Amino acid sequence: MIVMEWLICFIATVAFGVIFNIPLRLLWWGGAAGVAAWIVYSTLPELGMSPVFAAAAAAFVAAFAAHWLAIWKKVPVTMFTIPGIIPLVPGGRAYSTMLAFVEENHIRGLEQGVQTFMQAGAIAAGLVFALSLFSIGKGVGQRYETEN
Amino acid sequence: MVRGKKTMDICLLSGRLLLRYGAETYRVEDTMVRMAKAAGMNNVHSFVTTTGIFLSFKTEEDYDSMQMIRIKERYQDLGKVTEVNQLAREFTYGDITLDETQERLKAIKDAPMHYPLWFIYLASGIGGGAFSYLVGGSYFDMLPAFIGGTATTITLVLIQRVLKVKFFAEFAAALTGGIMALIMVNGGFGTELNQVIIGSLIPLVPGVPLTNAVRDLMSGDLVAGVARGSEAMVTSLSIAAGVALALSIFYM
Repeated sequence: MIVMEWLICFIATVAFGVIFNIPLRLLWWGGAAGVAAWIVYSTLPELGMSPVFAAAAAAFVAAFAAHWLAIWKKVPVTMFTIPGIIPLVPGGRAYSTMLAFVEENHIRGLEQGVQTFMQAGAIAAGLVFALSLFSIGKGVGQRYETEN
Repeated sequence: MVRGKKTMDICLLSGRLLLRYGAETYRVEDTMVRMAKAAGMNNVHSFVTTTGIFLSFKTEEDYDSMQMIRIKERYQDLGKVTEVNQLAREFTYGDITLDETQERLKAIKDAPMHYPLWFIYLASGIGGGAFSYLVGGSYFDMLPAFIGGTATTITLVLIQRVLKVKFFAEFAAALTGGIMALIMVNGGFGTELNQVIIGSLIPLVPGVPLTNAVRDLMSGDLVAGVARGSEAMVTSLSIAAGVALALSIFYM
């Protein structure tokens, strides 16, 4: 049953790769990154973590895998990060936000909207954290000049 | 002189292709600087925003060269980004000459999209159907979500082709997808409305601007990062407005 879910997640991620015109030889790896993200995202809440934390952790896993794959395959990392985070997109929450606003239930709409933004922010945080790990020593100085 | 001019041409062309088909800002800047340096230019500087490219360098004869180009259209074709990236890598390592690079860049520029349009329609349907299962968990509802997802992308492409207005095309596509989903579920073809609507609309997700905004902001390209973030935001709002309109028509 759970394997079926992973398979469907893989199909979804690969199909999104086609929508973004990612070459065929890279598609499968992006799909694998997406499935890894989905496993983390669906398992962590069962262990008692909050969904927002799960989204951040899953985005981190996907982005980390994407950076390794990009170095290995010598292609831009976007080829793997974009399909990797697709399963995490808070589509359901965004929809319930809109539904609540259409039904003029504004309090519920705001609540759902804040949750949507929290999840989007968590995905960004996961991406940023993985990116920082892979740009150690390559970034630019900020705030204090401590070089000399 | 001639060499400087040719270098400028190939650098700008590769920058234009990268930016137009969805590469990150820092990659565009980095690629152009590396190519110009590999061709023997000095004092190379580039500045790229989401909508324009500046490049300046000094040729070997100490002749200053500077150009700016405007990028109007932005597509999502990461296949072309990979190809230009590969070509720039080969040129930087000195594997191919200036003329060869120019020819191959032109070939990439004139090539059709990486996948044919019908295949992208099909992928939208499959992606929408499969994603809807991840949201809702009902096997039967994957079928209406497949139809909805395909219809959404077909509407998007057709309206974009005729009207050439990006955000309106996204709005209209979301509206069509939403109405299709509502009709199918209300007509008994599909059980859970949430799942079908989300599956129908998910192909519109602005994946490229979203991830690129994060990367641009992190690498210090603040102007480009904010611009891309706003693009993703406006797209999301267009989709939201489309769904809201579809829902209001049905719940009147």
